[in-house]
Amino acid sequence: MIPVPTLHIVAILPVLLLAVGAFAVLLAELFLSSRGTGKSGAGSVFVGVSGATLLVVVVIAAQGFISAGAPAFNPDHPMLHLDRFSYFAIGLVAGAALLSCLLANGYLQELRIHHGEFYALLLLSTAGMVLLVSAVDFLSVFLGIELMSIPLYVLAGFDRGKPRSNESALKYFIAGSFATALLLYGMALVYGATGATHFAAIAARLDPDDSMAMAGVALILVGFAFKVSSVPFHQWTPDVYEGAPTAVTAFMSVTVKVAAFVALLRILAQAFGSAEALGTVLALLAALSMLIGNLMAIIQDNVKRMLAWSAIAQAGYLLVPLSTGTPEGQAAVLFYLAVYVFGNLGAFAVMIALTHRGQEADRFEDFDGLAKFRPGLAAAMVLFMVSLAGIPGTAGFMGKLQIFFAAIRADQLPLAILMALTSVVSVYYYLRLPIAMYMRPAREHPHRKELDFLEFTVLATCAIFVLVLGLLPNTLDWLPVIDWTHQSAAALASK
Amino acid sequence: MVGEAVILSAILFAIGTVGALVRRNVIVVLMSIELMLNAVNLALVAFSRQWADPAGQMLVLMVIVVAAAEVAVGLGIVIALFRNRESLNVEDASLLKW
Repeated sequence: MIPVPTLHIVAILPVLLLAVGAFAVLLAELFLSSRGTGKSGAGSVFVGVSGATLLVVVVIAAQGFISAGAPAFNPDHPMLHLDRFSYFAIGLVAGAALLSCLLANGYLQELRIHHGEFYALLLLSTAGMVLLVSAVDFLSVFLGIELMSIPLYVLAGFDRGKPRSNESALKYFIAGSFATALLLYGMALVYGATGATHFAAIAARLDPDDSMAMAGVALILVGFAFKVSSVPFHQWTPDVYEGAPTAVTAFMSVTVKVAAFVALLRILAQAFGSAEALGTVLALLAALSMLIGNLMAIIQDNVKRMLAWSAIAQAGYLLVPLSTGTPEGQAAVLFYLAVYVFGNLGAFAVMIALTHRGQEADRFEDFDGLAKFRPGLAAAMVLFMVSLAGIPGTAGFMGKLQIFFAAIRADQLPLAILMALTSVVSVYYYLRLPIAMYMRPAREHPHRKELDFLEFTVLATCAIFVLVLGLLPNTLDWLPVIDWTHQSAAALASK
Repeated sequence: MVGEAVILSAILFAIGTVGALVRRNVIVVLMSIELMLNAVNLALVAFSRQWADPAGQMLVLMVIVVAAAEVAVGLGIVIALFRNRESLNVEDASLLKW
C-alpha cells in the first residue's frame, strides 16, 4: 500500500484563493453581461471580488509572517517553502496587485475596455508570483514564472483595438518566451550536472569547476536578467511599458520586479551558493543597468518610456546589494523593493488619474501647468518623483542608504560610488515633471474627470508609505519595515 | 546514448535561438521558440535517464503543457496584431521606438 503523505493545505492557500477568485470573476462576467447589467455595476463586482481576494492573501501573508512560516504542502517532497522571506514577498506582491486592481476600475472605464477578464488575469498572474517567490525547486520556479508571465502577455495587449497595445504584447511575448526558453535550458544543464531539481540538493552537488553546470547557471541568470529588465537584456522594456495600458504597466512594473528579484535572491542563496563568480557577473550587470538606464532616461519625451528606463536603472540599484550575497544585502534588496513598489505605483496612479476619454496623459506636455488645475495630484507626483530620485526625507533615500551601506560593508565601494553618481544624474530627469507642472504655463487643458474614491485611496496609500518608509522606517511599533526585512533575510539563510 | 541526445538537443537549441533572433516572420519566430523548448525536453529526458531520476520527466510534462498554453496566447496576440496591421513581419511592428 502506498503511504499517504500528510498534506498541509495552508501552504498553498494563497495560490488556491487567487485561482478561485479569478474564476469567480470570470463567472461573474459571464452572468452580468448576459443579463445586460450596466457596466459600472459589473465593474464594482469585479473590483470587489478581486480586491477582497487579494486583501485576504495580504492578511494570510501577515499572519504567516507573524507565525514565522508554515510547513510545506507535502513535507516529503517540498516544492514551496513558506518562511518569513516568502511571506514578506507574498504580502508585497499581493498588496501591489491590490492597489493596481483598485486603480484599474476607473481607467478601464475611461478607455472603454472594462472587462472582467482583466481582473481574472491579474489574479492569475499574482498566483504565479506567489508560487515563484516561495519556490524551492526548479519545477515550481518554472511553473511560477510561466503562470506569472502568460497572463501578463495578454494584459499588455488588453486594449486590443490599438496597434500600440498589440505591438507591446507581441514584443513582451517574444522577449518573455525567449527568456523562458533560455532559463529552462539552464535548468536542464544544471539538472544534468547535479541530477537534482531541488535547491538544497543542487547546492550540495554543484561543482563550481564543472563547465556544464556553470553554463546552466549562466543561462538561468540570463533568463532572470530578462525578467528584471537588466542591461543588456532590457531592450523590450521601454516598448512594452509604453504600449501597454497604463494600469497594466503599473501592475507589471512593480510586481514582476518584486517576484523575480525575490526568486533570484532565493536561488542564489540556497542553490548556487558555491558559484563564487556570480557576484562579479551581478556587479557588472548592476553597473551597466545603472549607467545605461539613467543615461537613456534623460532623452525620453514620453513619461511612460522615461519610467521604463528608470525601471531599468532601479533594477541596477537592486542588483548592487544582490551581488554582495550578504544577509545585510538581501535585507536591503527587500527594503528597496518595498520602496520601489509604492513610489512607482504612485507615479503611475497619477498618470491613470489624469486619463480622460481614452486620452492617456503620458507626454511631458500633458503635465504643463498641472499644479494650477490639480494641486493635489501635482503635489503627489512631486513626492513620488522625489522618492524615485532618492532625495532625503522620502522612502527612496532610505532605500538607497540601506543599499549603500550594504555595498560598503561587502567591500563593493566602486559600485556604491557609481550608484551615488548615477542617482545624481537621475535627479535631472525625475525633476522634469515637477518643473513642467509648477513652472511651465498651463496649456489649454481639456476637462479632466474628478478623482474617484478608489484612485484617491491608492494615491493616499502610496504617499503615506513613501513618507513613512522615508521618515520613520523603523520607529513605528506596528510598522518596523527594516526589522521585517532583516528577519526575512535571516529566514533565507536558515532555510 | 545520453551523450548523443544531449549533443542533439544542444544543436536543436542553437538552431532555435538563431531562428528566434534572425527570422522576421512572427510565426517562424514562434516556431523557433517552440524548437528551443523541445530541445530542453530532449535534454531533460536524456539527463533523467542518466540519473535514473523521474524528476526530469515531470519537468518535461510541465514544459509540454505550459508551452501549449504559451503558444495559444502567442497566436492570439499575432491574430490581434494582424487584424490591425495586415502584416506578419516583425519589422512592421515599429510604432514604439526610442
